[in-house]
Amino acid sequence: MKLPGKLRTRALLFSFLATFAAAYLGAAETASQAVKIKIDTILASNQKDEFDSRLKPIEKQLKKSLKYRSYRLLKEESQNLPAQGNGSFDVPGGRTLIVSPQDFTNQQIALKVRLQGGEKPLLDTTLKLENKTNFIFAGPPHENGVLVLVIWATVQ
Amino acid sequence: MKSCDEIRELLGAWVDGELGRAEADAVRLHVEGCSVCSEERRQLDKLNVSIKSALVSQRPIAFEPFWRGVERRINEKNSWRDEWMDRLRGAFGRPNLAWSIPAVIGLALVLYSLGVWKEETPRNNFAAVESIDAYGRNVALLRENETRTTVIWLYQNQEGDNEASGETSDQSPTF
Repeated sequence: MKLPGKLRTRALLFSFLATFAAAYLGAAETASQAVKIKIDTILASNQKDEFDSRLKPIEKQLKKSLKYRSYRLLKEESQNLPAQGNGSFDVPGGRTLIVSPQDFTNQQIALKVRLQGGEKPLLDTTLKLENKTNFIFAGPPHENGVLVLVIWATVQ
Repeated sequence: MKSCDEIRELLGAWVDGELGRAEADAVRLHVEGCSVCSEERRQLDKLNVSIKSALVSQRPIAFEPFWRGVERRINEKNSWRDEWMDRLRGAFGRPNLAWSIPAVIGLALVLYSLGVWKEETPRNNFAAVESIDAYGRNVALLRENETRTTVIWLYQNQEGDNEASGETSDQSPTF
């Protein structure tokens, strides 16, 4: 089909505008995406040899990183949080884990994480995590063992 | 009796012998008695003679080599590369360019949004810890290479750490 010069120019102009609009909207969408934060609360101890089958997907991670004999999933909880939003997760022993996604760029999710014992801050950290991956936060004692918190972040 | 205008409209058909007998007689009688229409007829005759002489004097066009060339090109088997180049030339030729460019851009955007075409960054699951504040407690940052796991270990070995939980604080990490 032969297009008149004017129409051809308009079609080209439209295509460039559409490209820029798509790029802008894509960037805006990335900036406003929610992040799903999932916390697996695990009790690790040396009381007996036991491995909770629900932890199978992260068995290697746990056994390579921490050398306990027993791992039992106490609870798992997830929340969808907007950027700069706060999610509060109850941790056994009257503790609270507060997670706040900061931003998401280049497949990296920036998180602020705070562990509180009652009102008392125990630990504050800021880190960057690859999308759909986790990091482990461990140490607080619980029932003759230690609490291991596996913190997952996934952009929705 | 027909007017000169009516006769002039019929003049061409009459010269070419396309009129019926009665109409042809009427035109002939008028032309014989009308100098203007007679002059018109003379001009028509002259034009007919010129056209005929031009057609007769023209040399016949040599179509044979042309058709032979067409036949040869039809029968000629192109390589796949030539065929693809022809198709590309057809798709991106100037008339189609206006639609080809938006189509390519649109396709690229769709592929990008579907995640088909994304720069693959090497997978590195280590979390990059930017800051840790343990409020005076001991803290360890561990990295396990095989599973690319980052562990933040909080030592709760200070007095009053477990007030909230009332738990013992004699746990030592087992790495």
